[in-house]
Amino acid sequence: MNRGELVTIFQRMASEVAEKDFSHVTEDAAIADLGIDSLGMLELVASMERELSVSVPDEQLVGIQTVRQLLDLVERRVVSK
Amino acid sequence: MAPTTTSPTYPSTLVEALDRLPDGDARGFRFLTLDREEKYFPYSAMRTEAQRRAAFLGNLETAPMYGVAGGKLNKGDTVALLLPENHEFVLTFLGASVGGFVPVPIYPGATFKVTGHYIETLAHILVAARAKVVVCNQRNLEVVQLLKELPETKDVVILVAEKDFEADAPAFTRPSVGPDDLCFLQFTSGSTSKPKGVAIRHRNLVANTTAFLGPGGLNAGALHGKPDDLGVSWLPLFHDMGLIGFVLGTLIVDLPVLLFPTTTFARSPRLWLELITKHKGTITYAPNFAYQLLAKRVTEKDLSSLDLSSLRVAGCGAEPIRARTLIEFASKLAPAGFDAKALLPSYGMAESCLAITFHRGGTSMRVDKVDPAAMREGKAVPSDADDALELVGCGIPFPGHELAIVDESGQPVGERVVGQILARGPSVNDGYFENPEATAESFKDGWLYSGDLGYLADGDLFICGRAKDLIIVNGANHYPQDLEWVVGDIEGVRRGNVVAFSIMKDGLEVLVMAAEGNSGDAARLRTEIAQVVQQNFGLTASHVAICAVGALPKTSSGKAQRKKTKAMFESGELQEHA
Repeated sequence: MNRGELVTIFQRMASEVAEKDFSHVTEDAAIADLGIDSLGMLELVASMERELSVSVPDEQLVGIQTVRQLLDLVERRVVSK
Repeated sequence: MAPTTTSPTYPSTLVEALDRLPDGDARGFRFLTLDREEKYFPYSAMRTEAQRRAAFLGNLETAPMYGVAGGKLNKGDTVALLLPENHEFVLTFLGASVGGFVPVPIYPGATFKVTGHYIETLAHILVAARAKVVVCNQRNLEVVQLLKELPETKDVVILVAEKDFEADAPAFTRPSVGPDDLCFLQFTSGSTSKPKGVAIRHRNLVANTTAFLGPGGLNAGALHGKPDDLGVSWLPLFHDMGLIGFVLGTLIVDLPVLLFPTTTFARSPRLWLELITKHKGTITYAPNFAYQLLAKRVTEKDLSSLDLSSLRVAGCGAEPIRARTLIEFASKLAPAGFDAKALLPSYGMAESCLAITFHRGGTSMRVDKVDPAAMREGKAVPSDADDALELVGCGIPFPGHELAIVDESGQPVGERVVGQILARGPSVNDGYFENPEATAESFKDGWLYSGDLGYLADGDLFICGRAKDLIIVNGANHYPQDLEWVVGDIEGVRRGNVVAFSIMKDGLEVLVMAAEGNSGDAARLRTEIAQVVQQNFGLTASHVAICAVGALPKTSSGKAQRKKTKAMFESGELQEHA
C-alpha cells in the first residue's frame, strides 16, 4: 500500500464518519478543522483498522492533530503488522 | 419465580447489598475488556475480590498529605480511581467500599485529555478529595505517574490494579459501614481550578436506587421479581449515569449487567445494539447524542441482524434531549423490534445521585410544542405553528421527592413559566466534600439549586437551558472558564479577551469560541484556537469568531461577558474579521 492509497482510504472513511465530502482533504489538514471530535476520531480509526486489518491502540492517538500524523501512525502499524 | 406482591426490604448500604447478593454462578456482571475479552464475575466472585482489595487498601502505608496524617488509611479516607478497565474499576470500587473507604472515580484519561491540562485537573481533584491513594491500570500508569512530579501530589501512593492486588491478601478486619457514611465522591462538576466533589452517602444512594429501579420507577431486578432483567451499558463509570445506573444501583436490586468500554462504543457505535440483541438486554441508557449517532449509523442491512424486542427501557438523560432525535431513532429501529414506548427521558443531577424525574413508564414520550418568541420571554405558550419549539417531557418527580421552579429572586413561578429548577428529597445529598462555600451556593433552605432552567406543565418537567454558563457537548460538562484559560495561552490572544459559550444548532448544543485579535492573525488564530480546544478537551468548536480588539462586550471591571457575547453572536451583531 502506498501513501496515496492510504490518503484515499482516509478521505473515504472521514467522509463517512463526518458525513461531509472530504475527497480533497490534504495531509496538512488539522483533524479538528474537519469537524471530527474525539468520538468521531475513534470511530474513524476503527473503520481504518477494519479496512487495513491493523489495530491502533487508543493510547497512541494522544497528541494526534493532523491528517499526516494520523496516517504516519497508521502506516507504522501496517508495516509492523 | 412469581412476582412478589410484598414490597422488598432494601439493603441499607452498598456493602450490605453486596453481602446479600445470591451465591452461585447464575447471576453477576459481564464485562467486555478494552482488549475485547469477555470476563464474567458471578456476584460471589465480586464479593470475594472486593474483600481482598479492601485488605490491600487497608494495609497501605501513606505519607502525610494535604494536612491529613500519614500511616494506614482510616475509615472514611478517600481512594482515587483512575481505571479505564471497567472490571478493575468495579472490583476496586467495591473493595474500597467494603474497607470503609470512600472511592473517588475520576476520568481515567487514557485517550485524549492527556496533556498538561489533564494532569493539572487531576491534581486539583486529588487535593480537593484529600486522596492519598490512586489506583490505575497498567495502560494509563505512565500518565498517572506524572502526579509524582507535582509538588502537591508528589507523595501520593499509586497502585496498579493488575499487579498490586495479585498476591495473597493480608489480614484485614472490615469496619461496619452505615447508611450515614459517605459512599463516594463525584467530581464532574466545578471548574478545573475549583473542582467540587458531590458527596453521596449510602442512604442517598439507596433512596435514589429505590426510586428509579424500584416500583415507582423501572421496577427492575430480582429484588422486584424480575429475574430476567439485564442492563447493557457503555456509559463511563466516573459519571453518575453509568456508575449508579449500571453498577451501584443494579447491585442494590440484584440486576445483572453487561458493561463495555465507552471507547469501544465510540469506535463501533453499532456494537451497543448488537450486544443488546445477543444478550437480550432489557434496560439501557444513553445521552441524546448516542441515539442520534445510531439513528444515522444503522443501515438497512444492520436492521435484519438486530433484535431489540427484549428492550423495555431505553433511557435518555445527562444532556438536553431533542424530540426529533428520539423519534428518528424509534422509527429507524422499529423494524428491529424497538418499541417507542421504551424511550424514557429523564432529568437529574449528580447532587441527587442520578435522576430525580422519570417519564411515566410504558407510555409514549410527551412532546410540548411552544412558541419561540414567548419562550425568549420565559413563557412556554403552546403553539401549533411550523416554527414551534419541541421540548421533551422529562417526567414527574420520584415518590418522596419534590421539585420547585423559582424566578431570579427565589419566588415560585406558575405553570408554564420558566425558572430555575429546585429539588429536594432523600436522594439529594447534603453538600460538597469539604467545600462549605460551594455548598452554601447550591443548597438553600433545604432545597438544591440545580442551575438548570425549566418549567412544569401538567406535572411534567421540561428543561429549557441553564442558569449557569456550563457547556454540555456529547454528555460531557465543560466550564467556559477552563476553555478560555487554555486558549488565553495562544500567542496573539490576550487572556480575558476570550469567551466560550454554546449555542443550539439544529437542536444540538455546539461550542462557539470568540476572541479578540488583529485582523492579520485571524486565520492563524481560528486554526490554533480550534486545535487547542480539540487537544485539551476533545471538543470541536462549531465556530471560532475573531473580532477586533475591544469588540467583545466587557463588564466595568474589564471582564468579557459570555451571555452578552452570545446574544450578539446569535443576532449577528458580533463583528468578525474576515
